[in-house]
Amino acid sequence: MTILRTMAVSATALLAATPLLAQERGGTLTYGRYADSLFLDPVLNDANVDIWILSNMYDTLLLPSEDGSGVEPGLATGYEVSEDGMTVTLTMREDIMFSDGSPITTDDVIWSLDRARNPDNGIWNFLLASVSEVTSPEDGMIRISLSQPDPAIIPALTVFNSAIMPQAAFEAADGETDAEKAEAFAQNPVGSGAFVLESWDRGSEMHLVRNEYYWADGEDGEKLPYLDAITFEVIPDDATRILRLQSGELDGAEMIPFARVQELQNDPNITMELFPSTYVHYITMNVRDEIGGEDNPLSDPLVREAMNYATNKEAIIQTVTFGVGTPMESYMSMATPLASGDGPLYPYDLERAQELMAQSGYPDGFSTSILALAGNQDDIGISTALQQMWGQIGIDLEIQQVDNATRTEEYRNGTFDMRVAGWTNDIADPGQITSYFAYSPTIDALHSGWMNEEVDSLFEASQSEIDVATRTEQYARIQEIFNTTGPIVPLYETPYPVALQNDVHGFVQIPLGNNIFRGAWIEQE
Amino acid sequence: MPEFIARRLVQLIPTLIFILVVVFVLVRLLPGDPASAVLGDRALDADVERINRELGLDRSIPVQFWVFVKSFLTGDLGNSISLRIPVTQLIADRLPITMLLTLMAAAIALIIAIPLAFVAALRRERLPDTLIRGGFQVGLSMPVFYIGLVLLTVFGANLRWFPVGGYGDTFPEHLYHLFLPAVTLALSLSAILMRNLRAAIIEVLDADYVTFARSKGLRTRLILFRHILRNALISTLALFGLSIGTLLGGAVITETVFAIPGAGRLMVDSIYGRDYPVVQGLTVTLAVVVSITFLLTDLLQAWLDPRVTK
Repeated sequence: MTILRTMAVSATALLAATPLLAQERGGTLTYGRYADSLFLDPVLNDANVDIWILSNMYDTLLLPSEDGSGVEPGLATGYEVSEDGMTVTLTMREDIMFSDGSPITTDDVIWSLDRARNPDNGIWNFLLASVSEVTSPEDGMIRISLSQPDPAIIPALTVFNSAIMPQAAFEAADGETDAEKAEAFAQNPVGSGAFVLESWDRGSEMHLVRNEYYWADGEDGEKLPYLDAITFEVIPDDATRILRLQSGELDGAEMIPFARVQELQNDPNITMELFPSTYVHYITMNVRDEIGGEDNPLSDPLVREAMNYATNKEAIIQTVTFGVGTPMESYMSMATPLASGDGPLYPYDLERAQELMAQSGYPDGFSTSILALAGNQDDIGISTALQQMWGQIGIDLEIQQVDNATRTEEYRNGTFDMRVAGWTNDIADPGQITSYFAYSPTIDALHSGWMNEEVDSLFEASQSEIDVATRTEQYARIQEIFNTTGPIVPLYETPYPVALQNDVHGFVQIPLGNNIFRGAWIEQE
Repeated sequence: MPEFIARRLVQLIPTLIFILVVVFVLVRLLPGDPASAVLGDRALDADVERINRELGLDRSIPVQFWVFVKSFLTGDLGNSISLRIPVTQLIADRLPITMLLTLMAAAIALIIAIPLAFVAALRRERLPDTLIRGGFQVGLSMPVFYIGLVLLTVFGANLRWFPVGGYGDTFPEHLYHLFLPAVTLALSLSAILMRNLRAAIIEVLDADYVTFARSKGLRTRLILFRHILRNALISTLALFGLSIGTLLGGAVITETVFAIPGAGRLMVDSIYGRDYPVVQGLTVTLAVVVSITFLLTDLLQAWLDPRVTK
């Protein structure tokens, strides 16, 4: 079977979801963020505060589509996968330049991808692990040779870590090692994205200006972006961030607490956006036979099933997300490619839960604990609700509030009983989430100690399966097994809550979390 | 007097060494490590080990301490683990903001506390006294973040007299932006200062030398400023100096509510992020700042009351 897909070059098609108003140009968009970025290197970063804005500064060969499930042309205008699935050939866009006006060459592409897939660099190189060599067979062409067929290689080329950076400018930066150069370069970067970093007051304000050399065309036939600049203001306190938006000092604000969503929906000056996401919220259960030398009731599948049925997700969605969340149908969000689900998992059924507990090895119940992030209202709200719900099947739940580093340590050591957790995908493919959730060699299935040989072998097979129908079947079976016997209590999916002034248009946060400002514009007075 | 200052500065050295050792060990005793804190839940064991090795955290604590002391003596506080920039640069950027906020809060606290203390003391047990003390009681019992949000909502968002948080770009803008947070921070301190000063004034009012001054026929204003204020301030000043440390601590919450990129927020973020070099560098720097404040307070006290240096 030949897999041959070429894409339309037209950048107008890219922005097909056009608002009714005509775009206007100019202005600075001021956007309130809950936390500042840490380190803006596409390869060496490790936090969402970096990942979610990096795509404004660096373009990838292909770009993720706005619905987060497909790919669109980026610095490459099209791609072709060979019949045996072992090579990807990409056609580079002509006459493209970095933000300093220097040309983006195939050498920059080869260097950037080689840096991104180097196992010594950062924590994202696994996304390109199948790549064995990147070459340029002829001018304007890039060939990626694989060591095995990789169904996720095309979406991997849209992920932030495979962004194209200027080799010459990077190597000219101060420092001996790649990490030192990256630190120096990140202070004053040259990018390939729609915007470029101009100044950065740590912890306070980041200023991006438009890249005059950006390649993509806007709806009006001129080059993107529409905005002259973006200012990110760091406002950690939710109430202050909203107040600043309402007083008109911000054009947009992210991470609106769900408790405030309805109020902002009713505010006539504000557009309350709930962007579809891949954000799933769940409880991870440690299912090892023993924890700290003691018998672990959570290792009993009947107990886990009982706890799942005793969890009233609808009630938690109402109390914690104020009705904004939706029940999960699989461990992966429904926006993930190949997600399969027919209705909410474990609909609330207390009687059934009680029956299951009676059949289990712990008919009289037991005591256990859950880790909640100290000061986090959602974590505490979920834990308190579960304490009450599971009390009805004889489980005495102790809530332990800890800080993030403490929680991570207990999690990694496998010494926790349960924890509240959340996940978003970084790639439009089910492989990443499944590797962490279900495939035991990666991190012991969410450090839970859960292991299923069929899942492990299906996952391994699916990683090199390029027949879509076969891979879909493999994933249907993996999800069936994990969703019915896995180490989690699925709770709900939530969108990304972003509040914007009414005169702001064209901004999107895609399901993978990336904030995309290149199509954003502000109505001028 | 120079000898007094020199003696105090020498005393500072063992204090700083002690703080250095304690913070170095304490931060490493906290559960979790920088690599896990930075990399988060998704990190693979190999990544965590690699990063800890790169940071030199796989070495024993005495060795790490030796490496730290060596570079500390050359003025190098290392690089922030999560932000990847020099700690000295971070402190130079963010500590002045907190210092300015603290100074403004201290000044506002004094401006509020001194006149009200006089009124309350001179109208002791009468309506003004009751009103002032009652008002402060209410103020003291409100949490700082709540006061901050109320001020922001009323004077920022509704009346538009002040910006809703942030720090501004120029010095006059800084003062303007910091006014509401400084008031927030000053309120609880002024309550404490007011009560202390009121008590001190009442004590002085009953002192023999004031009765004597009055009987000499000196003008009330002269008595108030030269005799009463100066003597009553001595104990309040000691309290004020000690409170600067508390103010710096209180800045953490205020900085978060008002979105001010100060050292308080940096400290909290660094502790949560297990960013050892930043926690160490900032703690030592703050210790120096607080010690110097105490020294200045002592000097001021010595000037008011020469018996102190003896």
